[in-house]
Amino acid sequence: MVKTFISMIVVALMIFSFSIFEQHYVNSSFDEFHQVLCVLYDKVDAQTATQEDVYAVQNNWLEKKQSLHAFIPHNDIKEIDLWLSESATLVRDEKWEDAISKIEVLKELSEQIPKTFTLSFENIF
Amino acid sequence: MGKRQIGEMQPFEFIVTLIIADLACVPMADVSIPLVYGIVSIGCLFLLHQALSILEQKGKIFKKVISGSPSIVINKEGVNLKELKKNNMSVDDLIESMRTSGYFSLDDLYYAIYESNGQLSAFENDSRTEPPSSLPVLLVSEGKIDNSNCELIKAERSEVENFIKEHSKIQKDVEVMTIDGNGRVYFKKKNTPFEILHFPLKEGVKW
Repeated sequence: MVKTFISMIVVALMIFSFSIFEQHYVNSSFDEFHQVLCVLYDKVDAQTATQEDVYAVQNNWLEKKQSLHAFIPHNDIKEIDLWLSESATLVRDEKWEDAISKIEVLKELSEQIPKTFTLSFENIF
Repeated sequence: MGKRQIGEMQPFEFIVTLIIADLACVPMADVSIPLVYGIVSIGCLFLLHQALSILEQKGKIFKKVISGSPSIVINKEGVNLKELKKNNMSVDDLIESMRTSGYFSLDDLYYAIYESNGQLSAFENDSRTEPPSSLPVLLVSEGKIDNSNCELIKAERSEVENFIKEHSKIQKDVEVMTIDGNGRVYFKKKNTPFEILHFPLKEGVKW
């Protein structure tokens, strides 16, 4: 019985600490990414963005996504990759309106993905 | 689960085992799901299983709710059809379980109990001495005559019906009737203890 209780406490603590770490890590990674996207959005809106700006965002994302692969579905990561690549091409071609809509979607994704890790009614059911 | 085998598991343990197998499989098969998802859910199930095991050890009520309780399907009065139906089983299923335990006739046992893990426990009837010359077959189950077994014992359906009429006013009341190669009949009517009767088999009939 004692062994059972100890194993339960150990597993519960592991799951609890892992969930806190996961939530914190995913939130902070996406917060940072969201801020970078906001800067890019402002630049595209002002039509001063260059392809290098988008590449900088892409590199920032590449660093983060390596560890994020362990926590979030790989399809979500792939989706961000695709939207970022499209944005880079549109900025290069100076299609500002199209580029801004793509970055808008990226901003939305960076807000929504961390929300799927919070303890809420819709995430449980 | 400890050192128990699948056949010895309680129903909830068996379900937990199946879910764990499925949870371990999904992240391995679906490349879009991180492996951590499977590990965390297996950890949660482990917690749930341990909690249920502790609850089960704490009291009889919990044990009954979580694991169910044993069912006495044969008692000194004979086959308990109500108990069998409660477990979604028929007389055929009972006879099959008895055969796997090495008993071929319903009156070979004083008591037969289906444990909560599905195993049949038997308390042998010592008074039975005469071994059957052929395997006992089920002639009537829940008032219905088995035509193929009538053919097997080379008896007309009407002969069986007449035999039933001699011993029971209503055919539907006959819960179980089996017959062995010596013509020895296990006859159980509704709400009455079983009787051992004799059915006149034709000469030379063997199966």
